[in-house]
Amino acid sequence: MEPISPTALADLVRRAQKGDETAQRDLIVSYQHRVAGFVYAMTSRSDYVEDLSQQVFIKMIRALDRLQAPAQFESWLFRLARNTCIDQLRRQKLRRIFLPFGEEHENIPEPAGAVDTEELDALRHALAQLRPQDRALLALVQEGRSHAEIAEILATSVAAVKARLHRAREHLREHYQPNHET
Amino acid sequence: MRANTCGNIINQTMKPEDQAWASLRRHASAQLPTGFADGILRATRGPKPEVWQQLRAVAASRLRPGFAGRVLQAARAAADLPSFASQLALSAATAALCLGAVLFLHIRNLEQADARNLAEWQQIVAAAREIDTNRP
Repeated sequence: MEPISPTALADLVRRAQKGDETAQRDLIVSYQHRVAGFVYAMTSRSDYVEDLSQQVFIKMIRALDRLQAPAQFESWLFRLARNTCIDQLRRQKLRRIFLPFGEEHENIPEPAGAVDTEELDALRHALAQLRPQDRALLALVQEGRSHAEIAEILATSVAAVKARLHRAREHLREHYQPNHET
Repeated sequence: MRANTCGNIINQTMKPEDQAWASLRRHASAQLPTGFADGILRATRGPKPEVWQQLRAVAASRLRPGFAGRVLQAARAAADLPSFASQLALSAATAALCLGAVLFLHIRNLEQADARNLAEWQQIVAAAREIDTNRP
C-alpha cells in the first residue's frame, strides 16, 4: 500500500472516528504490515504476529474516538502496539511462574521456512536477548519515528531516549552474531 | 610434487621451535568457523536495514488474507459485549442491594426482638405490681 500523506491520513482518521467502516478498514490495511513487523520485533515469535496485531487494531478501533489529534495517529498507534506487546510479554512471564513447563512449550523453535536467512535469525536472536523496552525503542526507530515522537510514546525526555537508544544499539550489536549458538 | 619437495626442504630448514609455532597457528586457525571475518564485520556493524526489512516482510507474511475484515468483525463483537466498567458497575450495584437487604432484615429483626422483650418486661412489671397490691 502507498504511504499516505499527512493530510489524507488526518482525514482518514477523522472519518474512522465517526464510525466510517471503509475508513477503519483502510487504516488497518495501511498499517497492518508495519504493526506486524513491530510485533515480530517485540516478541521474536512469528506465531504471535497475527493474534497480537489483531488485538492492537481492535484496541485502535475501540479507542479511536478518544484520540484528540488525528495528526498524531501513528505515534498513538505504535504506543498501543508497544503496550499490547509488553502486556503480552508480562502475561507470558507470569504464566511461567505458575506453569513451570509452559516455557518449554513456548520456546518451540520457529517452523521451517518462517525464518529464511541466517542474518534474520541472528537479528531475531539478538532482539530476544534485549529488554522489551529496548526492543520497542529499536523497533520504533526502524518504523521511522523521530526521537521526539519516541519520547512522547514512552513518556520520557528526548535526551533519555538518545541515551537508551545508544545502549540498546550496543546491546544489539553484542548479541548480533549470525553464527550464534542457541 | 614439486611443492611438497619445497615444503619438505623448508620444514627441514625450519627450527623445531618455529615448526611448533606454525603447527599451533594451523591448529588455531582450523578452530575458526567458515565466514569468520564476515561474522566479525556483521557483529561490529550490527544488522543492516535490509535485515530489518526482511523481518517486517516475514511478519507481514504471517497475516492471513482478509485480516482487516477479521479485525472489524472482532471489534464489532467486542463492542456488543458489556464493557468492563459496566460489568463493574452492575456488580457494585448488586452488592449494594444485597448489603441493603441484609441491613434492613437485621434492623427489622432487632426491632421485633426489642418489642417482644419490652412486652415481656411489661408483663413482668404488671405481675409484680399485682403481687405488691395483693400483699397484706
